[in-house]
Amino acid sequence: MTDLAIELRGVSKRYRHFTLDNVHLKLPRGQIMGLIGANGAGKSTTIRILMGLVHQDSGEARVLGHSMPAEQVDAKWDIGFASEDMRLYDSMTLAWHINFIASIYPNWDASYAQLLLKRFGVPPDQKIKGLSHGQRVKAALLLVLARKPKLLVLDEPTTGLDPVARHEILRELTNVMADEDRSILFSSHNTQDVEQISDQITFIDRGRIIDSMDKEAYLDRWRRLRLEVPSGIELPPLPGIIGIQQRGRLAVATSNAFVPGLANAYENSGARVQRIENMTLEEIFVANVERSREEVEA
Amino acid sequence: MTSSVVGQLILKDWRLNRLLIVLSVALGLVALFVAQFGSELARLFGTVWFFVSLIVLGSILPGTAIVSERKKQTLAFIMSLPVSSVQYSLAKMASIWVMFLVPWLTLLISAVVLVATRNIVPHGIIPMLLIVAVLPLIGFCLISSAALLVGESEGALVAATIVCNSSYWFAFYLLCHIPSLAANWSRPVAVWNPAAFITLSAELGFIALIVGLTLFFQSRKRSFI
Repeated sequence: MTDLAIELRGVSKRYRHFTLDNVHLKLPRGQIMGLIGANGAGKSTTIRILMGLVHQDSGEARVLGHSMPAEQVDAKWDIGFASEDMRLYDSMTLAWHINFIASIYPNWDASYAQLLLKRFGVPPDQKIKGLSHGQRVKAALLLVLARKPKLLVLDEPTTGLDPVARHEILRELTNVMADEDRSILFSSHNTQDVEQISDQITFIDRGRIIDSMDKEAYLDRWRRLRLEVPSGIELPPLPGIIGIQQRGRLAVATSNAFVPGLANAYENSGARVQRIENMTLEEIFVANVERSREEVEA
Repeated sequence: MTSSVVGQLILKDWRLNRLLIVLSVALGLVALFVAQFGSELARLFGTVWFFVSLIVLGSILPGTAIVSERKKQTLAFIMSLPVSSVQYSLAKMASIWVMFLVPWLTLLISAVVLVATRNIVPHGIIPMLLIVAVLPLIGFCLISSAALLVGESEGALVAATIVCNSSYWFAFYLLCHIPSLAANWSRPVAVWNPAAFITLSAELGFIALIVGLTLFFQSRKRSFI
């Protein structure tokens, strides 16, 4: 059995107005990966390739050890997939959907489904068209979770939800990870949600993976240095500094490989370090995207 | 295990569309009931209504069972289940064919029994009745194939439906002008001559060809959602 829940190697997919370009991605079993990207960045295309719904033009995709799309049927027995644009049958009730899914999956856990019905507060006998958006998302997630998948693939599951519903869903996803063999790939453009539950973070922009690493490593490595630069002093180019914005005597340097020696180096150059600030995941994401776009355009 | 998933998909479609099937059977049976009355106007009205109920079912069913799955975004839910795109297509073909064949056979058998037992028209009409009754089956086959292959383009499906539905009367006209078929209509017994067999076989062969081509092209799709 492979130790990777997901492995993409050099995966490309070309559309008329968009190209997913040479994507490499690894998610070890038992981990949660947040896939962050702006709208149209390639998150859904990546996920569709992982689910076998779209065939890549080149490269290799393996999910739970199965080659996709060729072995998608075997893989999908152990994958729970829910996406923001996935809908249930409007004219049927959640109870009908539960019976339908339970008739397919031998691992269906009826008592867990009942527990989730209570936790999520979704009425099972109401038609789907009568449910709120939040209730529909919870219903779809219930149908995925109670089949006990080894891998959860969630494409923007919290989009459009109120804070309480988002919290309930994120808490349930965290509970799922009590089973160490289970893994989650969770795409979103909401960095707060991803930061809350992910072990690994991957940034994607314009069809390219621009960075992928452990969440703690991101938060440790990225820093913002607020500097006071006396006139006549020029800030030196330093390794690990990916951008400097300067207005008059004040400058902000962004580092993606922070070490305390950077602050010393600026002090030695004549600048004064006013503050060293941690960056939020959203700020790291935006800085990463801007740097990546500058590199591509250069 | 996968065959049971395909079976569940077929059952699911049946449950979702059974009201439409019951209504179309009821409509067709009412048409046959009307047609058995003596007046020529009632026969004409009943016959047209009978065929219209089959044509309408053949036009609506692909829309409700295939296109709406894409349009209402339930396709992603189904494709998250352990089925491949080819298995999904097979399940979909099987389910819509069952859903169409049940009312089609029910109404066709009822019509043949009616003609054979009530003596309202000569029995010589029976071969032609069967040949003409296959036309809505061909139309349904073409529309459902278009729905599977180009379901993402509603315009293409509407065009296929319009072309099929406006071709029925032309096909009916052509069949009525095959001398060896038309000559036997008014006979007191059904005459199964080579022309009747060849026409019926050609119709069924055309259906088999369309189904085969649909599955072939569907299996070559690279983006399924």
